[in-house]
Amino acid sequence: MSATEPRTELDVAVEVNGEPRRARVEARRSLAELLRDDLELTGTHLGCEHGVCGSCTVLLDGVPVRSCLMLAVQAEGRSVVTVEGLADGDRLHPVQQGCLERHSFQCGFCTPGILLTAAALLDAQPEPDEAAVREAISGNICRCTGYESIVDGILRAAEIAREAADGHAGEGA
Amino acid sequence: MVARLVGSSVARVEDPRILTGRGHYLDDVRLPGMLHAAFVRSPFPHAAVLGIDVTEALQVPGVRAVITIDDLDRVAGPLVPAGPPDLLVAPFPALARDRVRLVGDPVAVVLADSRAEAEDGVEAVEVDYDPLPGVGDMDDVLAGGTELVFPELGDNVLHRSTHRYGDTDAAFATAHRVVSARLDQHRHANVPMECRGIVAAFDPAAGTLEVQAAHQSPHALRMHLADVLGIPAHAVRVRCGDIGGSFGQKFGLSHEEVAIAGASVLVGRPVKWIEDRSENLMVGGQAREERVDVEAAVDPEGRILGLRVRMVMDQGAYPKVGYPATGYLSIVRALLPAAYRIDDIDFESVIVASNKATYVPYRGPWEIETWARERLLDLVARELGIDPVDVRERNLLTSADFPRASATGVELLGFDPRRTFDDTVDLLDLDAFRARQAAARAEGRLVGIGLANVVEPAPVTPSLIRAMGIMAAPRTVQEARARLELDGSVTVFTSQMPHGQSHETTLAQLTADQLGVGIDRVRVVHGDTRDTPFNLVGTGGSRAATLASGAVVGVARRVRDRVLEVASQLMEIDPADLDLVDGSVVARGAPGVSTPLAEIGRLAWVRPGLANADGRPGIEETATFDSAEGTWSVATHACEVEIDPETGLVRVDRYVVVGDCGAVINPAVVDGQVRGGVVQGIGAVLLERSAYDREAQFLSSTFMDHLLPTALDVPRIEVHHVHHEPTDEINFRGVGEGGAIGAPAALTSAIEDALAHLGVRVTEQFLPPVRILELIDAATGA
Repeated sequence: MSATEPRTELDVAVEVNGEPRRARVEARRSLAELLRDDLELTGTHLGCEHGVCGSCTVLLDGVPVRSCLMLAVQAEGRSVVTVEGLADGDRLHPVQQGCLERHSFQCGFCTPGILLTAAALLDAQPEPDEAAVREAISGNICRCTGYESIVDGILRAAEIAREAADGHAGEGA
Repeated sequence: MVARLVGSSVARVEDPRILTGRGHYLDDVRLPGMLHAAFVRSPFPHAAVLGIDVTEALQVPGVRAVITIDDLDRVAGPLVPAGPPDLLVAPFPALARDRVRLVGDPVAVVLADSRAEAEDGVEAVEVDYDPLPGVGDMDDVLAGGTELVFPELGDNVLHRSTHRYGDTDAAFATAHRVVSARLDQHRHANVPMECRGIVAAFDPAAGTLEVQAAHQSPHALRMHLADVLGIPAHAVRVRCGDIGGSFGQKFGLSHEEVAIAGASVLVGRPVKWIEDRSENLMVGGQAREERVDVEAAVDPEGRILGLRVRMVMDQGAYPKVGYPATGYLSIVRALLPAAYRIDDIDFESVIVASNKATYVPYRGPWEIETWARERLLDLVARELGIDPVDVRERNLLTSADFPRASATGVELLGFDPRRTFDDTVDLLDLDAFRARQAAARAEGRLVGIGLANVVEPAPVTPSLIRAMGIMAAPRTVQEARARLELDGSVTVFTSQMPHGQSHETTLAQLTADQLGVGIDRVRVVHGDTRDTPFNLVGTGGSRAATLASGAVVGVARRVRDRVLEVASQLMEIDPADLDLVDGSVVARGAPGVSTPLAEIGRLAWVRPGLANADGRPGIEETATFDSAEGTWSVATHACEVEIDPETGLVRVDRYVVVGDCGAVINPAVVDGQVRGGVVQGIGAVLLERSAYDREAQFLSSTFMDHLLPTALDVPRIEVHHVHHEPTDEINFRGVGEGGAIGAPAALTSAIEDALAHLGVRVTEQFLPPVRILELIDAATGA
C-alpha cells in the first residue's frame, strides 16, 4: 500500500480499567496509541515500539501484553488494565505500595510496564521468591535502578498482599 | 537544628504520581492545533545531497508541510559550536544543505495531523544522494587521506595537544621495566528509556515561542533557541516536566530542537516531535569511543614511576553545541592520577572526526581515566607477577600524604585515599577467594576478582577547573530561591532539572529541616525558565548534592531568619529567643508562647510594611552556593565473576561498592544512584555497543542489536558507606556518576583475573561472550 492511498478506519469497543470505552481508529493503530491518544490514558509509556523494553505493558484479560505490538482492533471486546486502573480509589495496589516503600523507581518511565507485570505475577504466584521476580520482570528494561530496588518493591508487595489477605481472614473469623 | 528528615530514606515526593500513571512526560503534552513531526534521515554515512523532492509527500493524507533547509533558512541560523582555538569546529545547519554526514542525519521534517501520517510523508520524500566514502575508523583518519567530514576545516584530525607534568624522561631512564598497552574503549550510548523530543509552540500574533522539552538544562536550551531563531529572549520560555532519564544525553542544542522550533515558527502552529527508539540509538548521542596508548615506567615492586599517554577520541560528525570535545580530554588528563602516587606524566590528546553520531556527555564522561589506569595497574601486576591488589596498595597515597596537589594540579583533600580500598579488601577476604579460585581452576572453572578505585569530582573543584585549563568554564555557582507562602507553606525554586534524581524529595528534606516543618509543607519547583534561577548546567556533573543543597540550605536559613524577625515584631520577643518548631515559632524556654507559621506567612503578605521596610509584601529570599576544594566522592568497586569456558558468558556473582560521599541526605536515593550507575557500567562491558562498520554504516538501531542489562543479568549490588571528618557544613557530595565510572574497570579487572592463568590480557572494554571465547582461544592456541 502506498502512503497516498486512503486508510481503513474501524470502530473498537474495549473495557478499560472497568469502564466500557469506544473509539474509531485506523486499522493500523496500536493498542498503546488507542490508550494514550484516543482514550487519553497517558500513564502507558512507549519506550521502544518494537516490543523489547516492556514500558508499554498492560494487562489484557489479566495477562501482560505489549501494547505497542498489538493493534487496537485486536482488543475488541477484551478487558484492559493500565497503570491508571491499578489503585482502588485512593488505596494503592500492593505493587504500587511496595514500590513506594522500597524506593523502587527513579525516572518513572519504565514504571507502568513493571507495575502491571508485577501485578500479574502476584496474581499467578502470590509468594514469589527473588528468582521468580527477576524472571518475571526480565522482559522489562529499567535504565535507572539496576533492578534491585524494584525486586525489593515487588517482594514487599507480596508481603503487603498477604498481610491484607490475613487481615481479611481475621475479620471473617 | 536537629536534623529530622536529612539522613533518612524519606518516601519520594515524586512517587505518588509516578506510580499511578499521573506523571507529566513530554509525550503526554497536547496542544490545540498541534502538528506531529517526523524526520527524513540519511541512510548513508556520508553523501552529497543533490536534490530533495517533496511533491509526493505533500499529497499524503494528513501531511500539512514538508520543511527543508531552504525553508528553515528563513527563520533559523546554523548551530554554532564553540571551542578553544586549537579545536577545529564549523557551524552547521539543522537540516542537511548539500551533504549528509552520518546515518540518520536529518534532511527534512514532515508535519502532519498525526505521527503516523507524518511517517507516511517521510516515506514519500525523494532525496537524491550521491554517496561519499564513509569515515568509520580512527586509524584510517590518523593514517590520513579520509574523505573530509567538514571540507571547510581541511582535516579530519580536529585537535592535537601535549601536556607534560614532572620529568617523564628521567622516570623512564630509571625504570626497572616499561609496561605498555593499547587500551580500546568502544562506543557507548546513554539510552534513557524516554527518548528525546520537543514540543514547540510559536504564537505568530504574540511573537512568543513556548517550548516544552525533556532537557537537562532548560535555561541553556532557551538561550540557544533564542540565539539561533533570533527571537528576543523575553519571548522564549522553556518548560520541562517529568523526564524519563537522560544520563547526559538531553543536553546542549540538537539539530532536531532547532528544526522543530523553526518549523513551528514557519507554520505558526505547535509542533511535537517525539524521537523513536531507532532514532535515539542512531543519533540521540553516543559516547566513550576512545583509545589510550599507555607506557608505564615501573620499579621492581610495581610502583609507577612515570606515564606516557596518548589518547585518541572519535567525536563523530557533528560537535555537541555547548560541549567542546577538548573538555573530555582535559578532564581525563587532570583526573588520571586520582589518588595514586604518579608524579611524572606526558599526555598527548588527539580528536578525530568521523561519520558517526555526536559524542555527548555520558554518566561520568571522563570514565576512561579510571578504566585505563586500573587496567594498567593490572597489566603491571601480571607482568611483574604481583597480586593486582598489592600493586594498587603500593601505588595508593595515604592520609599522611594529604592534603596534596596531584601531578596535574588537582588539590586532593577531604577524603582518606586508603579507607574505601582497605575496607573493600577486608570485605572480600582475599585469601579465602584465592583458595576458592585455585580450587575452581583445578576443576576447569574460571573465576576472578577485580578492583577499581574511583575519585569522582562531585562537583568539580576550583583546582580541577584550573587543571583542565582553557574552556573549562566554572559554572559552579548555584542559586536557590524560596518563598514563604500565604499559609506558611514553602515553595523552593531550584535550577536543578531532575530526571530521576529525586530532587523534589531531597531538596524538600533539607528545607523542611531548616524550617522545622513537615516535608508536605515544602514544594520544590524546577524546570520552568520563567520561575527558576538561571543556570547553564541544570542537572548534571553530580552537582546537586553539594551545590543545590548548599543553595537551598542557605536560602531556607534566610527565610528562617526573616520569619523570626517578623515573629519578633508580632510576639514582641527578641529573635534570638525564638525558635521554629513543628510549624510554629516558639519562645525558647516558654513552649506555650507560640505563633503558627501559617499566621506569620499570612500577615507577612497582607499586612503592609510588616515583612519589608520598603513595603514589599511577603518573605521571599535568594541564596547562592559555590564549589570549594575537597568535594570528592570516592569509592572502591570490587566484583567477582565466573566465566563459562564453553559459552564465554560472564556471570557477575558479587559486586561491592564502598564509598565515601560525605553525609547522605536520603540513603535510598543515594544507593539507587550508585546501583543504577554500576549496572550501566556492567552493561557497557558485557552487552552494550553502538556499532558501526569501517565505512560508518550503523549496525545497532534496535534493542535486538543494542542489548541492555535485564534483571537476570545483574546481581545485587552491595553498597557500603564510610564517613570521614566533615570538611564543610554542606558535606554532601554527588553520587550520580561514580557507579558508572567504577564498574567497567572493576568488571574487566575481574574478567582478566579469571582468565589470567591462561595468558589472557584484557585491553579492550567490550567483552561479549564471543569475544571472551576469542581471547581464550588466542591465548591458549585453541
